[in-house]
Amino acid sequence: MIERWALVSGLKGDLDTYELIQKDLKKTPGNITLFVLGDMIGPEKNCNRLLHRLINPKSNDLQPWCIYGWWEEQILLESGYRGDQRAETLRINKGEEVVKSLTNAVDKSFLDWIAALQFGFVELDCGLIHGSSKDIGENLTLDTPPLTLLDRLTRLQVNRLFTARSKEQFHLELTEGTVNSEVEDLNGNRKKEQKVPQKAVIGIGAGKNYTLYDVGTDNTQFVQAGYKSEKRIKGFGML
Amino acid sequence: MNQAVISCLHANLPAVEAVLKDIELQGITNITCLGDLVGYGPQPNEVIELIRDKKIPTCQGCWDEDVVDGLDACDCSYPSQLAEKRGHFAHQWTTDKLTKENKDYLANLPYSIRKDKCLFVHGSPNSQHEYLLPDMDAFAALERVENARAEILFCGHTHQPYIRELADGSIAVKIKNAAPKDIQEKEIQLPMRRIVNAGSVGEPRHGGTKATYVVHNEVTNEVKIREVEYDLELTCKAIIDAGLPQIFAWRLKNGFEFAEQAEDASHVCER
Repeated sequence: MIERWALVSGLKGDLDTYELIQKDLKKTPGNITLFVLGDMIGPEKNCNRLLHRLINPKSNDLQPWCIYGWWEEQILLESGYRGDQRAETLRINKGEEVVKSLTNAVDKSFLDWIAALQFGFVELDCGLIHGSSKDIGENLTLDTPPLTLLDRLTRLQVNRLFTARSKEQFHLELTEGTVNSEVEDLNGNRKKEQKVPQKAVIGIGAGKNYTLYDVGTDNTQFVQAGYKSEKRIKGFGML
Repeated sequence: MNQAVISCLHANLPAVEAVLKDIELQGITNITCLGDLVGYGPQPNEVIELIRDKKIPTCQGCWDEDVVDGLDACDCSYPSQLAEKRGHFAHQWTTDKLTKENKDYLANLPYSIRKDKCLFVHGSPNSQHEYLLPDMDAFAALERVENARAEILFCGHTHQPYIRELADGSIAVKIKNAAPKDIQEKEIQLPMRRIVNAGSVGEPRHGGTKATYVVHNEVTNEVKIREVEYDLELTCKAIIDAGLPQIFAWRLKNGFEFAEQAEDASHVCER
């Protein structure tokens, strides 16, 4: 049977969208594993019903495998789960009201569950994270310099990196690369040519836009919940 | 015009004095220090005061940071828990010895110094604790320099001097899963960049006992590694007299990278 991953992020308390995705996935052929790459919560709406559903799936739900995202990090900071630090970046950029909205949107009883979530998963040769291997808040997009993308892949020692933070859907392959290195030290000189094996960075989207990944063929499908899957058309932009 | 870059002085006053003398003999007045003024060695206040007196621009090293902030960072290069214990002992000894004025000086050192196309850091642009080893992944090394918007990155921390040139690089990229007309392929040329590690003045780990530093010609871009002999016996005696672990003196005298073989694979980073 085909093995597929469904990669979801940015639900931000939207149980209706989550139910729509669950409904989609029931109709999707193959053996599907559901990963939720963070931002299950947000300041816009009450997130308790979604969190309850993620923790206590209905009997016919696909089991969600969740990691924490940028918004989870903010609530953990603000709630004292990161030592003396608080959500100052959020406070400075969005204001005190948004900080309050976020803490009001999540019942405190869920915080221990959120705090126990992992930064990411490594499955096969793939890294599944919210932002990047450097920073949970880092946006990786088609415009990110390839050298940076390669570094973020190297840090996790994976060949494919699934990321959600940018909210964009894309599948960028680093098909080949080379660099010459010459080192001079007290023992003399040595030269080496280093090559890049094929690697990829995949933006999975957010909210209703999610991604299906076929593990056997390395193909991605960009899907909008409630609609047929579609191929995304994206240019390189400022690459 | 030549500039000298020194790093990892580690409270070894005879070594620092010898290196500064060597720099002076070459007529070089432009000196930058990459931190770790203290730690392991027996003369932390004296070394800081010498650097301060000479007004040498200095970055904060990992030891400088830890002495100020407390041991919040783990030096993962410790080969064993025993070595780590000795490191912690040296940390406490140094903290006790330093004057408040010198601690304040260390606390206010910048993480990096930028001069035109050159960036000076202790470990890497990311952290005082990150090791840029001479044979690390070439793309990752290039990324550290490029994302720091530098052409030459001067670093220390490894105690092993080297000059690494990364050139003729390229990465080819392709958008997958797009309509055929929108599938794009591109080859991006990577810039030539250099990483220069100044080695260590006060605690060389290159297999020899000489202090090392580098001289960079800002016009020709040529970089030379300099080795300087100093009164090793004087420092070793001061280490023992100060009550610091004797193995620090033994290591200096032999130029060994580590005091013993790494036997404890279970070491867990504290960070």
